[in-house]
Parts: sequence; C-alpha cells; structure tokens
Amino acid sequence: MTKITYKVTSEHPFPADAAAAAASLAAYEALDDVTKARVDQMVDWIMKNCLWQFHSRAWDRKRQNEGILGIAAKLLAGEPFTPETPEDRCYWVDSVTLQRAYQATCPWLATMSKDDIKALMKELHARIDYLTVTGSLNEELTDKHY
Amino acid sequence: MNCQFKPKDRIGTINPIFTCQPAGAQYASIGIKDCIGIVHGGQGCVMFVRLLISQHLKESFEIASSSVHEDGAVFGALDRVEEAVDVLLMRYPHVKVVPIITTCSTEVIGDDVDGVVTKLQEELLDVKYPDREVHLIPIHCPSFVGSMVTGYDVAVRDFVKHFSKKDKPSLKINLITGWVNPGDVKELKHLLAEMQVEANVLFEIESFDSPLMPDKSAVSHGSTTIAELTATADAQGTIALNRYEGGQAATWLQTRWDVPAVIGPTPIGIRNTDTFLRNVNDMTGKPIPESLVKERGVALDAITDLAHMFLADKKVAIYGNPDLVLGLAEYCLDLGMKPVLLLLGDENAGYEKDPRIAAIKENVDYPMEIITNADLFELEDRIKNGLELDLILGHSKGRFVAIDYNIPMLRVGFPTYDRAGLYRYPVVGYAGATWLAEQMANTLFNDMEVKKNREWILNVW
Amino acid sequence: MPYHEFDCSKCLPERKKHAVTKGTGDNLATALPLGYLNTIPGSISERGCAYCGAKHVIGTPMKDVIHMSHGPVGCTYDTWQTKRYISDNNNFQLKYTFATDVREKHIVFGAEGLLKQNIIEAFKACPDIKRMTIYQTCATALIGDDINAVAAEVMEEMPDVDIFTCNSPGFGGPSQSGGHHKINIAWINDKVGNVEPEITSDYVINYVGEYNIQGDQEVMLDYFTRMGIQVLSTFTGNGTYDGLRAMHRAHLNVLECARSAEYICNELRVRYGIPRLDIDGFGFEPLSQSLRKIGMFFGIEDRAEKIIAEETARWKPELDWYKERLKGKKVCLWPGGSKLWHWAHAIEEEMGVKVVSVYTKFGHQGDMEKGIARCGEDALAIDDPNELEGLEALEKLQPDIIFTGKRPGEVAKKVRVPYLNAHAYHNGPYKGFEGWVRFARDIYNGIYSPMHQLSGLDISKDEIPTDRGFVTQRMLSDAKLPEEIAKSESLRRYTGKDDIIADLRKKNPPYFTPIVKAEAAE
Repeated sequence: MTKITYKVTSEHPFPADAAAAAASLAAYEALDDVTKARVDQMVDWIMKNCLWQFHSRAWDRKRQNEGILGIAAKLLAGEPFTPETPEDRCYWVDSVTLQRAYQATCPWLATMSKDDIKALMKELHARIDYLTVTGSLNEELTDKHY
Repeated sequence: MNCQFKPKDRIGTINPIFTCQPAGAQYASIGIKDCIGIVHGGQGCVMFVRLLISQHLKESFEIASSSVHEDGAVFGALDRVEEAVDVLLMRYPHVKVVPIITTCSTEVIGDDVDGVVTKLQEELLDVKYPDREVHLIPIHCPSFVGSMVTGYDVAVRDFVKHFSKKDKPSLKINLITGWVNPGDVKELKHLLAEMQVEANVLFEIESFDSPLMPDKSAVSHGSTTIAELTATADAQGTIALNRYEGGQAATWLQTRWDVPAVIGPTPIGIRNTDTFLRNVNDMTGKPIPESLVKERGVALDAITDLAHMFLADKKVAIYGNPDLVLGLAEYCLDLGMKPVLLLLGDENAGYEKDPRIAAIKENVDYPMEIITNADLFELEDRIKNGLELDLILGHSKGRFVAIDYNIPMLRVGFPTYDRAGLYRYPVVGYAGATWLAEQMANTLFNDMEVKKNREWILNVW
Repeated sequence: MPYHEFDCSKCLPERKKHAVTKGTGDNLATALPLGYLNTIPGSISERGCAYCGAKHVIGTPMKDVIHMSHGPVGCTYDTWQTKRYISDNNNFQLKYTFATDVREKHIVFGAEGLLKQNIIEAFKACPDIKRMTIYQTCATALIGDDINAVAAEVMEEMPDVDIFTCNSPGFGGPSQSGGHHKINIAWINDKVGNVEPEITSDYVINYVGEYNIQGDQEVMLDYFTRMGIQVLSTFTGNGTYDGLRAMHRAHLNVLECARSAEYICNELRVRYGIPRLDIDGFGFEPLSQSLRKIGMFFGIEDRAEKIIAEETARWKPELDWYKERLKGKKVCLWPGGSKLWHWAHAIEEEMGVKVVSVYTKFGHQGDMEKGIARCGEDALAIDDPNELEGLEALEKLQPDIIFTGKRPGEVAKKVRVPYLNAHAYHNGPYKGFEGWVRFARDIYNGIYSPMHQLSGLDISKDEIPTDRGFVTQRMLSDAKLPEEIAKSESLRRYTGKDDIIADLRKKNPPYFTPIVKAEAAE
C-alpha cells in the first residue's frame, strides 16, 4: 500500500509566545465586569470597522496598535495631539476616527475621568494586542519577510 | 493558384486561437461517465480550463489537479499524483475512470506517470480498493507540442487504447464526434436513430445541456460508459467525423482490432451530411430513410430562401478548430459565399495532405488565404490593411475584432461564452445546415439595420 | 477550537483545521482556520496558480502595456478575457495578449532567442505601445530561461521601450497569492523610482490594490478628483506603466485589496516613508469613513464631507429600499480573498442580510482574521474550500444567495441557490455609493427572481398555482413587508443608468488631473 502521509505544515505551536498570551488573557479575565464589557464593546467596533490592526506581521501589528491606540487615548482624554510626521498623521487619522466613533457609541465615556479613560484605553490596547498579536493564531505573523 | 496556403509570418502569438493540449484532454475526459481526470501540473492548468469550459457550457463539472507546487517542480511530483488518486477515490466513490493528464511542467521535469500508474495499481488499487473498478490512464499532453486540438485527439486515442477489447462482433458502429457541442451530439444521434443504427458515441455530451430540477438533483456529466468504450473493438466500423479530433483513435482501432475506419468528412452543410449518411449506409447496409429525405428537404427549403439572395458572394473569414473551419468553408462555398480567409490555430503536419485544403486550393477562383499556426492578430492585421469582410465565423475569443472593426460575426465553435445557449444548437447534420444558414442571414440582417445598409430590402422578403 | 468537520472530508484529517464556525464569544484567539498551505492534490480545490496571480490578477489591468507570457500558448489563452477589468484606453489590455509560443525544440535548446524575437515583433505589431511586461511560466522557468537578460538586451537596443519582467511560474506557491507577492516585490525593486512624475496637486496618493473591475477605480478616481487629490498611480486597474514607476512620489498610499497589494505598500513605507492607509471602497459607511480619513490626512476633510453628503442624499433612499427587502436573507460570501472582509460587515449593516459563511480560495490566515472579525456569530469560515465541501455547506446552510465565481456559481445553480459574481460582479461597479446600490439591486434581483421561485415547483407533485400569468419581484419581496415600508415614498428602487462609467469618462480626462491648476482657473 502506498503510504500517504499528510504533512503537518506548522512547525511552531501557536500562539508563538504562549506565556505572554496566557498572561494577557489572565489580565483580561481579571477585569471587573463593567470594564470588560466596555473593552469588549470598543474591541467590537475596531474589529468590525477598522483594518489597521491587521497588518501582516506581528511587529507591524504592535506598531500599528501602539500608534493608533496611543493617539486615540490622548484624544479621548482631551489631550492635544499634533502629528509631526506622515506616519503620525496616518495614525492620527485612524485615531480621530476611533475617537469620534467611541464618543458617538459609548455614552459612558463622557462620565469618566481623564485617568480612567487612559486606564481603559490601556486595557483596550492590551486586549487588541492579545487578539491580533500575542494570542493570534495566525501562523504568518512571525515570518521574517513581508 | 488563387489560394495561398502558408503559416503566419510572425514567430510569436498575439491573441491565440487555441489553448494548449491539456485543455483538449480535459474536454474529452468530461464526456465519460464516472470519470474525473487529474491534471498533473500547476493548479492554473485546471482552474482556467474548467472556467473556460464552464463558461461555454454554462455548467460545472469536475476535474482535479495534482497541485504541483515549488518542491514538486524541483524534486519531482509523482507523490502528488499518488496522493491525488487516493484522495479522489476516497471522496468520489462512483469514480471509475481517472485519466492522468500531464502538462508542460511535469513533462519537463520528466515525471514517469506511466510508472506511477503501475505502482498505484499494485500498491493502492489492489490493496485499498480491491473490489472497485478503477482505471488509471496516463495521457501525455506536453503543452509545448500541438494544441488543444491534438490534446483532444491524443486523449480519445488513449481512452480507446485503454478500454477497447474484443468480445462478440456487434452491429453497432463507433461514432467519434470530435470536439463538438451537446446540440451536435443530439443531432448526430437523431440521424443515426432515423437510420436505425446504434452507435458507441465518443463522447456522449448531450447530457451537458442539463436541467435545474426542483429536487436539486441534477448534475452535469458526460455519459459515455466504460462498456461502450470497451465495445469499440467489436463495432462494425468507426466513423470519426473530425480528422484532427478523433482520427487517431479511429486509425488505431482499425490497426489493432481491424475495425474499418472512415475519417471525415465533418458533416457540416448539406453535402457533407449526405456523405456522412452514405458512409453510415455503406458501413451498416441500413438504407437512408424517407424521413431524412424530408428533413433534408426542409433544410433545403429554408436555405433556398437565403442562399442566392442574401448569402451569395458574401466574403467570410473563419477561424477555430481545423475540422470545423474546413467544414464551414466547404458549406459556405456550397452556399455561394466566398470564404476569403481561413485561420487554423496550430501547425499540424496533416494540413499539407488534407484533401479538403487541396480541393479548395484547386477550385477557388478568387483571392483566398489559408493560414496555419495562425493567431487572431492575423485576422485583425488583414482587416486593418484593407481586407474587406462581410462576415466572421469564429469563437468568442475573437469578439473584439468584430466589435472594433464593425464586422458582423456569428459565434461558432469553442468557446462561445458571449452568446446565450449556442452549445444547444447543432452545426452538423441537416438541422445544423439550417441553423448556420439562418443565423448567418440574421447576423447580416441585424448588421444591415445597425449600419442602415439597404435595411429596407427586408421590407418585402 | 470550534473546527467544523465536513462529512465529505472526514477521510482527509488535516482538512478539519481549515474550517471553523464562529460561535458565541469566539474571537481571533479562539477561532481561526489554517490558511495558505499546500493544496491537497485531488481535492478539487478552486485555487489557481502563481502565474495567474501575477499576470492575470495584477499585471494585466495595467492598461498601456504589452503583456507577454513566455511559454506555450495555453497560459496566455486561459488567462485572457476572463476578467472584467476595463480601462479608459479602449481596453487594450483586455483585448490583446501575447505568447512567445514555446515549442518542443525550445524546451530542448532554450527559448531566449525566441523571446527576443517575440519582443521585437510585438513592439512592431503595436507601434503605439512602448511598455511591456514579460511573465515567466512553468515551462520556461524549468528550462532556466533568463528573461531579465533578454529584456535588458532589448532595452539597450530599443531605447524608447521599457520592459518589466516577472518571474512567477505557476508552481510557485500554494495559490495565486504567491504570484501577487512576486509581482509586488519585482515591481518595487525594478521599476519604482525610475520615473519622475509631474506633481499637479498638493495632495498626492497612490491608489493601491484596486483593479477597476467594471469601473470601480474610475468611480473612486472621481471622488479623489473632486477632492482635489492627484492619483499618481493606480496599482493596477486602469493604471499606467509609467505612473506606477513614479509611486515613490506620493504622500500617501491608499490600499484597498491588502491581500494582493499590501507588499508594495509595506515596501513603499519602509523605503520611501510613504504611510499606508487601508480603506474600504464598498459600503456607504466604510466608504464615507475612508474618504473622510483621506481628507483628514491632507487637511481637506470638508471636501470629503461634501461628497459624502451629496452622494448619501442621492443614493441612501435607494439603498434602504433594498435593505428593507433583503433583511434576514442568508448569504454565503465565498470570494477569492479580499471581498470576504470588505463585504462581510458592510452587507450585514447596510443591506440587512446575514452572512452565514465566508470562505477564501487563495487567501492567507490574515484575510480570514479580517473576515471572521467582521462577520457575525455562527458563520462558517472555510479556507481553500473544495467542490464537495462547498456543496455540503450549501446543503447545511441553505443560503438565499451566494457570492462567488462563475463556475462555482453553476454548482450553486443546480441546488437552487442564485449566484452573484463576486470577482467580476454582475452589474457593477459595486464600489462607490451608487455602486453599492447596484450591488444591492443585483442581490435583490437574484433572490426575488420569479424564475428562481418557479424552479422549486415540482409540477408532478406540487399544487400548481393556476390563478396568475405572472409574478413580479415586488409581489414576492413585499408580500410580508409592513405597508408603511412597502408603500414608503421616501424609499425608491435604483434609478441610475445601465452604464455609469461612460459619463464619468466624459467628466474626467483619462490621466492625471491637474486639480490645483483647474481650481485656480475657476
């Protein structure tokens, strides 16, 4: 009988950094229910309406998440932000879009303090990093080339 | 001599008339019942051919790929064939016939497909599928040889070689249709039925004009059975309608099993249909019945309304499969028309000796060209340089020549995806003769109206 | 992992990891099929090859170019006239295709001389065209022809021509996607930066990953032009060869189909510092957001808002007419790659349909991530589907309509599922505001075709309704609609023309539009 073997193409277990993924997941699980619900709502808007979080490599996704969510956190907290470089400007455009969407769909944001908003945005950032980078099942994320 | 017969001058191809050999083998393979071919090569060699045939027939059907990727191209890809055969057999329990069609890539890397068939027989079929009838048939189709036409020819021959086996002599004949449409098969079967002749039809693709059923049960597939292929060795004789698409199989049956072969003519037009019926009559002794005399009369009645008033002297260019082109050219001549340019999309050594071409060369009394190894740029270039045409006959890939140069065109041949339902209508037989004459006329009529060219003539027709 | 195991694929254990159902609470860390792996031979996958990914998908939409394939004629013939990427130069790239016609003797002795003759001959046959792309095929790659060397030699001898070579034989990768990658990288390496464009606006973009299917690019170009933006190049639909050599001078890369063209955007970002902005040209809201973002980037958001307001006012009542009638209809969204994420959320939000399944023929896991992120719960996501799995899914999901390719559409027809062409569209363009209404109209006309209804009637068994000579789509679609919606005067069916591109072409000159100067002249 001809031996027909089906190759398992994946050589690496995913997610690539299981420890980081587990830690991130645990931190999210530990959030209080209200925060968790708010993070989920914000994540859902990003997932349904944005594309910037899905660049093809892990390092790029981290950079994107940081760039856009970092600026968005400032904008939502009412801090000024002036983009200096074309790259910043491109991030800023997506951040403003996020800011507007959240201000329109998350009425509870208006009741929060600057610091609370920043803290929430930090949790959102962690969650997006988890979903798109550390916890992602996408095996191409660690490919060295584009 | 008024007729020039020569290959095109350019070395390259601009807008090809044909695709390559594996496509022909694939078109042949879908004519067989319980057959799914495996094309051994890159995936595009199947994906696009399925799309092409599917566009033409407006149906889907199955052909598999061995999906050769980079490693296979470097190290040999026979393991991909082994895997493909097993995967196919596991998931399609009805499949009995699996042609393994090679392509340029797997021929260049030198994969021994014949060897792997032997190996699969011993190590897979005998072991894993001992109670199942499965035929693995290597068909060599390097794309850099011949064209889709020779691929079809080779495939028919290889199927016949694989299956044909002497048993008891039979009264049936073998009818090898060549590359035709479901509508052609229907008409050919009708003619034979009127003659009370039974045939092994290679290939029975009438069923590709398949229904949409309320219970969702319809599936499009060919209907030629293994039994019919096997019985080709017992037939009274073989009629291969097309010299270049099935001729090899007919010759092989004659050499191997002493089954007398009649090759051609392609029964396009009244005269060639007459000859076809005469050949059937010769082979079987069955008389041509009154019913066909009447059908022929109905056709001639319709054609007479058109021929000398509207069609005579009209200058036509024809391109496509060689037997089709030559059959159409002969019929056009019979209609009083002037085929001025015939384009054959490959260079087949047989063209030099083709009696139809010889007869045309001998008898036409106006300037005419027959170009071999032709492409569609040959047509366009001539039009650009002053060739006057009243009509183009050819397949859909040439549509832009007709559109851009405002020349009326009747779609005929393969593929004809830019017109509705053409696969349903025959060009062969008396029905085909009628259809062709009427469609040519309607195409011209429409053009007269669009261009306001004596459109008032039709007021009193 | 919520894998979905198809009955028909139980004998292929590794297929199990190629399909998942997105259950309640699932996210990208819990539900993602494998993707872009070698195809299982004999599975009857729908994938094409790397040659077609390079030549057919990305190369050929470039409009002012001789597209030549170095190999036997089949590759060329098969990938010719099977797409609807039009151009405003009379569709040269659709009409003409060139094959070097490699024969057995060339396989034995080499085909480089043949290639050179072909190049010279083709330029002679098309004296107005001075640009060429050459694509390697399986056969010539295997015999080792050096197409770069031949092209360089010809360019030396013919200084007025420029030739691009792409080495992407059919076997190079699991699907056409391998070819997308190769041609992206070859183009930026070999051609970008060697032409300096005339800059006519303060706002300059490359429009990337857009193939002008039925005029999509021209619709978007109209918006950009109205905003005063210079579109330096389109990669590649309706794009020019020299425009694409000047990509390095843009201020922003606006990317649509990331699947086929993110590579060049990424490289432009790394090498030239041009940022990449991913957008959606499909759907009122995603498109509005996209135009706004581009406007914001240049500080001209008001211009975007003006277009959005005008277009929305004109077309929203028509979109909503369809939405009311498409609510809850089940859709299988089975395209090639990018449309699974471009469309998944937008059709649910704006047309009210429910996406019950997404698949990708040739995409990567990244595409599936976007698709799964954007579709709703219970959707079945399939990577590299094959014939039997597709049928099994249709049987299980019983969709009202399927968006897929032509041939799989024929399969769906037999099981009484109407199909829309997801690659080439039925009556596009589908991009832009009006285009999106045209898409909704095609969906409506498919689902509510009276013929579709008739095809389910078994006249040998069922009661034959003999009381009517016809049924209209409206009678079918409005039967259960509340009267105030059915008779609403604020909603209306599509009122546009058959061909919406011809008018756009009259409006816009085909190449760069000097907006700054035009505005100054006003």
